[in-house]
Amino acid sequence: MGVLTLLQRDIKWRFHNAFTIVITILQPMLWLVLYSAVAGQAMQGIGIENYTAFILPGLIVLVCFGTCSSSGIMNYLMKTDGSFYRILIAPVQRSSIVLGQVLEAVLCTFIEVAIMCVVSLFFSVKIASGFFGLLVIILLVFMTSFFMAGLTYAISLCLPNEVLYETVMNAIVLPIFFLSTALFPEDKLSGGLKIAVNLNPFTHVINVLRNLILQGNIVTHDVILAILLLAVLCLISFSWALHRLKKETSL
Amino acid sequence: MTAICVKNLVKKYKNGVQALDSLTLTVNEGEIFSLLGPNGAGKSTLINVLTTFLRPTSGSVILFGKDAAHEAAAIRTEISCVAQRTSIDSHLSLTENMMFQSRLYRVPKPEAQKRMKSLISCFGLERYLKYPVSSYSGGVKRRLDIALNMMSKPKVLFLDEPTVGMDIQSRMAMWNMVKKIRNDFGTTIFLTTHYLEEADQLSDTICIMKNGKEVLQGSPNGLREYLRQDMLKINFPSKEEARNCFEPLKSVIELKESDLRHDKIITSLKNGHTDLEKANRWLLEHDIPFLGIEIMQPTLEDVFIRLTGEDAKEAS
Repeated sequence: MGVLTLLQRDIKWRFHNAFTIVITILQPMLWLVLYSAVAGQAMQGIGIENYTAFILPGLIVLVCFGTCSSSGIMNYLMKTDGSFYRILIAPVQRSSIVLGQVLEAVLCTFIEVAIMCVVSLFFSVKIASGFFGLLVIILLVFMTSFFMAGLTYAISLCLPNEVLYETVMNAIVLPIFFLSTALFPEDKLSGGLKIAVNLNPFTHVINVLRNLILQGNIVTHDVILAILLLAVLCLISFSWALHRLKKETSL
Repeated sequence: MTAICVKNLVKKYKNGVQALDSLTLTVNEGEIFSLLGPNGAGKSTLINVLTTFLRPTSGSVILFGKDAAHEAAAIRTEISCVAQRTSIDSHLSLTENMMFQSRLYRVPKPEAQKRMKSLISCFGLERYLKYPVSSYSGGVKRRLDIALNMMSKPKVLFLDEPTVGMDIQSRMAMWNMVKKIRNDFGTTIFLTTHYLEEADQLSDTICIMKNGKEVLQGSPNGLREYLRQDMLKINFPSKEEARNCFEPLKSVIELKESDLRHDKIITSLKNGHTDLEKANRWLLEHDIPFLGIEIMQPTLEDVFIRLTGEDAKEAS
């Protein structure tokens, strides 16, 4: 009950600040439409037939980063001009407070991912693994977004103001994005770069998403591994967010 | 019946600051209880502990028989707090804010709508319904903040300096509102203030605190001696003039060491206007330069100095 109440309030915040949806989808959309068209021709030389379909998984993860980052901003706004502190003395569990906000970020991610997928249809992107593949994609997007939203929630409660928060998020998001297989295939990498890319958990999520989109056969082992990895990350980020929220009142 | 019972409450922040120092007080059900103290006295910390926002370091806090340290969840359903800073969501409308509060407290929707109508009318908010909350003035936001905190029908409403920064008209309107809440809804009201007049006008019980401790607790009538005692103030051109006059003036009117404050002598009037006349005559007869002499109401500082006398050294 508390979760739904807070989720509803946060959704209203999102639509009241609709520019956050536009801003967070703008960059991934430019990558999808412009970059894929420009780089697509070059990539055909290395065996990538549809580069738009190739980079879509990476851009889905980028959308997660964007929406979840803006979800963290909500904490600063609610603290200065909102009900942040009032909710902390209301009969609502701390976990419900975090969950409500995290789920809003997940919901917003799904809206933006849906828009991206519709646009990518015009670039002949299809999900080769069919309906079951689509369900797995939905689960992976949910978990990725859940993990990121928990992380941004915790970070927003650690940092003193939104300017610092934005700076830190930019410093985290872009290196993670570029040090993954979002734009290039992994098999072309070598040495330390390959190790760094493999240490990035999003590499594995992107690889599984890519397989589900490009290839008909689902590699169960890879899918389960990605789900387990994300489950652990979700648990860690949610626990950290909860811990940070509890710390707000343990002065 | 006792609504709040605080015993030997200590709150020491993790940064080492001790905000509450063995504080003890009792609030009866259905009364307006004012906590009076200067900035930094520990008023807001006490409200934060009583509203379960902060955990006490030691001591006991019992609200309606429930221990705040161990039964916080149960206490939260019975209280509400209007903080110094308004806590309204500006992206929600007036009614959405009120309904959101009711959902947090699990008030059934039909009941919540009934309460909302009644509170909007009670707090004179009808004419603001069609405007966005972000366009409201500070006073209207404060009214909405109180109204929405009443949505859960709390047994205790905490008001943390509800009139700070308000002009006198808005303050008087707020006083009427506070009385109305108590009279119409039977809510126990616990408010903090640093205005003597406010505490005197509103309260059934006043507790004066300083440095995290209660200094005095009683009814406004019981504290009349402190709150409504006329004071005589003589302003001198300099600190030295005030000091030079202080000793000889002792033979004219009754003075204590703590009455000498910088370039002023401020004392409680023991013999009403007679003291004023005597002092005035003595000053004129001895050609002592002074800027003014007047009878005034005591300030919070005056009360503290009377109660503790500890500022005497600082003043001199």
